[in-house]
This record gives sequence, structure tokens and C-alpha cells, in this order.
Amino acid sequence: MARRINLAGLLAAFLTIFLPSSALAQGFSVAPAEVRIDDLPPGEATAFNLTIRNKDEVAHNFTFSVFQPPEEQRRAGREEFPDASWISFSPPEIEVPANSEANVKVTVAIPREQKWTNQDWETWLGVASESSDLLAVKLYVRLLVSTDATMPARFNAKLFAGIVIGIVLISYGTYCYFRRRTKPQRS
Amino acid sequence: MKVAITSIILAIILALVFCLPALAQESSTITITMTGLDEISITLDKVAWPLGTVASNTEYETSPPIEWCTLTVQGNCNVNTLIIGKDAEWVSDPGAYKWTLSDDGSNGEHIYGLWFRISGDTETNGRGYVPITKTQSEFWPYSAGSSSSLAPGDKKKFGLRLLTPTYFVSGRQMQTQITISAVHA
Repeated sequence: MARRINLAGLLAAFLTIFLPSSALAQGFSVAPAEVRIDDLPPGEATAFNLTIRNKDEVAHNFTFSVFQPPEEQRRAGREEFPDASWISFSPPEIEVPANSEANVKVTVAIPREQKWTNQDWETWLGVASESSDLLAVKLYVRLLVSTDATMPARFNAKLFAGIVIGIVLISYGTYCYFRRRTKPQRS
Repeated sequence: MKVAITSIILAIILALVFCLPALAQESSTITITMTGLDEISITLDKVAWPLGTVASNTEYETSPPIEWCTLTVQGNCNVNTLIIGKDAEWVSDPGAYKWTLSDDGSNGEHIYGLWFRISGDTETNGRGYVPITKTQSEFWPYSAGSSSSLAPGDKKKFGLRLLTPTYFVSGRQMQTQITISAVHA
């Protein structure tokens, strides 16, 4: 009898409640589905817009992320995008009213380093609706980035000023030197 | 004096003629191509599985088991779909207690398993039940099979299976999330 009570107690201790939630369908879309950036020089940035359309009858808050897909899911010849922090979203999250659409600006900035020239990368931009439901949907936009084969020259104001000042000083020094040499000596 | 000033100005002009091309920023053309007017979208006709109270070390399946939820491709481009799960957290205090999602569908103490099965994808002609893990993996199509990506209007029915931990703290409402994602095929 005592053993039966213990077993019943044990079973009760292991009971819990799992996954209660509302039951609503999710509906949103993202356009474009794929973005290709060509000839982006390292050291420069470019930007484009994603359009998020909320097809639901209620407003949703959308969040953005960068996902690095494994090699087998990337386009042929595409390497992994080196650093997700080179991609930024403005705004970082957005509320889209029911049956409306909104744009988010995506900026891609590649650091100015020789090793990033002539690269072909792929990464995915994730758009998800904030939800506590068991099943959630995330849509990915393929982002294909190809960098320029050469690094663009950059105007260096300090170097330019240095060269001008140097020329003036050297010229003035040379002028003074020859003037002193050619000046007639007084006896 | 005039000769000297003229010489300095000429020297500066000559230096700038050679230096400026090297110092100036070259113009470049960056091309951004948006693939047509492609819009990506999928919908699910279920988002919740209200299980109520569960017992330890027990399997639960959705009803109907493999045609419980329908995924529909709503956009105008073909898509590949992926799935990922996460740990189940205590609703009242998510940081204080969790069930860890196993990486092979098995269970253990405070470790639970989640599986999905797509209708028509049986063990003899496909994968049968597939573990859902914390690593994003193929939902449909899958690389080991001969299936193709989903076209606009296509539907896939699927079901879920839960394997509860062999031991867990009772009386706590747990919640988890499974994310199904889509990418342009």
C-alpha cells in the first residue's frame, strides 16, 4: 500500500504543462527575395531597402538578423560572408500595422583592406515576426556580395598638406641659399 | 624676388600635377541587382500545440500525426525551407529553469526531444520522423532526397512529436519555439 502511494506521488511530481498558446496563422512577406551587389570596393558602403508586408489583421513587430548559411546551402562559388557586423539594419526593428508594409534600410560596409578585394560572398538576412507561439516563421533574403578587384585610391588631406608645405619650405630654403651666395660681399 | 616666387608657384603646380592623381579618390560603380519583383512568403495554418499536462519520459504526437499543420508557399518565388528548435523555458522565470533540446531527438534528465514528419515522407521512401535540433537543418527539400524546392502555391503537411524528459521539475509551465524558415531556392 505504502509503495503504491509513493508511485502515485512520484508520477504527480513529474507532471507539468507544456506549450499553451494562441492559435493564429502568420502572414508576412519580404521583397526582394534576393539581392546581388557587384563591384563593391573595400572601404565603401552601399545600401538598399527591404519591403516587409504584414498581411495579418493585427500589427506585428519585426526583427532582423544575419545568418551565415552552410556551404551546401550557398550559391555555387560563394564563400561565407566574413563578418555579420558589416551589415546593419535601420531601424533595427520595426512595427508594421495590420495589412500594411514598411521599408527597412540595409547597409553593407566593407572595411578598407586589400584582402577583401575580388571576393564573392553570400549571407542571409533574416526577417522574423516577434512571437511567443510554438511555431514561428522566418524569411531569409539571399544577399550576394562581390567586391571590386582593386582598392580605390583615397584622398589624403594630411599628405597633401605635407607635400605643399614641404615644397614651399624647400623652395624658400633654396631661394635663401642662392640669394646669400650671390649677394656681393662688402669690404 | 619675383623670379623666386614664380619658381615656388611653378614647383607647387608641378608637384600637384604628379601628386593629385595619386591622392584623389577614384570613382567606382557599384551595381545592386534586386531579383525582379520576387517576394518571399510562407504561412503556417497552426502556430500552437496546447498539450496541457504531460508526464515524464512519454511521447506525444500531434493529431493527426503527420498532417497536423500545413505550410503554404505564398510568395512568387520557389523556396527551400529549414527548421530549428530551441530549449524549452519556464514561462514564469525563463532564466531559472529549462529543458534542453537534445541534438538527436533522445531524452534525458531535463533533456527533451522534438521531431517532425512530413506527410508522405515515410521511412521507406524518405526520412520518416526527423529530429528538430538547435542547428538549422533542412525541412523541405532535403539534400539526401530527390525532392525539389517548393513552388508558389505548394503545400506541405507535417506533424510533430515530443519526447518529454526522463525527469523534470513538476508544476512548471514550459514553452518552446520551432522556427520554420524559407529562402529563395
